[in-house]
Amino acid sequence: MLTKRITAMVESNATELSKDIQRKLLSHPTTKSYRKVDEETLFRWIYDVSSRFSYWLSEDNEKGEVKEHYRNLGKERFKQNIWLPEVISALYLVKRRLWEFIVAEREVDSSLDLNQILETSFMLVRFFDHAVFYVTQGCEEILKEKFGYEAPLKNPERFAEAMAEKAKRAEEMEEEARLPTLCFTKGMIRLE
Amino acid sequence: MIEKMIEMIEKNADKMAEDLKERLITDGTTPSFKVLDERDLYNDIHGIYSHLGYWLLKDPQRGPVQIYYTEMGKKRRMEGFPLPELIQALIVTKKHIWDTVAEKGIMGSAVSLNSAIDLITFLNRFFDFAIYYTVYGYYKSLGVLEF
Repeated sequence: MLTKRITAMVESNATELSKDIQRKLLSHPTTKSYRKVDEETLFRWIYDVSSRFSYWLSEDNEKGEVKEHYRNLGKERFKQNIWLPEVISALYLVKRRLWEFIVAEREVDSSLDLNQILETSFMLVRFFDHAVFYVTQGCEEILKEKFGYEAPLKNPERFAEAMAEKAKRAEEMEEEARLPTLCFTKGMIRLE
Repeated sequence: MIEKMIEMIEKNADKMAEDLKERLITDGTTPSFKVLDERDLYNDIHGIYSHLGYWLLKDPQRGPVQIYYTEMGKKRRMEGFPLPELIQALIVTKKHIWDTVAEKGIMGSAVSLNSAIDLITFLNRFFDFAIYYTVYGYYKSLGVLEF
């Protein structure tokens, strides 16, 4: 299967790809906090994704291990003073490099090959969408733990209040929209 | 070919915006969107879909994309939205655009498959930055963090 061939190619080029991604992370303006991280540790973080690419992309792992791993990653990075926007930017830099590598393998001779490249691309996108989502959930948990902050609409009472306010606004708008009635009194026309 | 795909989305913006709006207010993973005025939500979505070419072809690292989504992150934070829901909404939007293109059966040949890969590249680039700036705006408005 070409999908397996593509993921195997990513894995066999994992060292070079990881070094390239590491260089980008260390120089990108949106990932400055990663410069505080030990280079070997940083390389290992990146290498873990690219060297086990097919493992991470497999269906089963998306429901279990990916969720657990990236929620914990969100919390860990927070404690390491690497703020969520930077973590997300780093994940996208990894995704973008892997994407460039995969797309460069396009073989325009066969539609079947392009379909498989497209399929692998979907899996890559889906994986990183999940990673970003779960990292954010992990950070949310730490925000609550450390700063006592929780998004108001997560509170059922606040949510109910917001819905009641929405209903009230809708009612007010309906009243405003009603056309005035014409009233004839003593030969004069009056609006009510 | 990619221009045709974008044009198709822009032409179907009314129906697509209505469809996505319904999806966001009924989906269990984005419950907070129920509190929004439906017309405002529709207008926000329609603004993106009807000018998709403009948004996709702009440099997403700066300019309108940066400004719009940073503000959106702040705004939704002030409205009480949890950040994961905002991210989920953007992921759902990206998928919605892609599913519509796939549904229309535009991808039949090697040429159109190549264009599909190009479209995914543009979509990903745009939504990566949309999510990044939404998160940036959200966190900046929190004020408790050194950022």
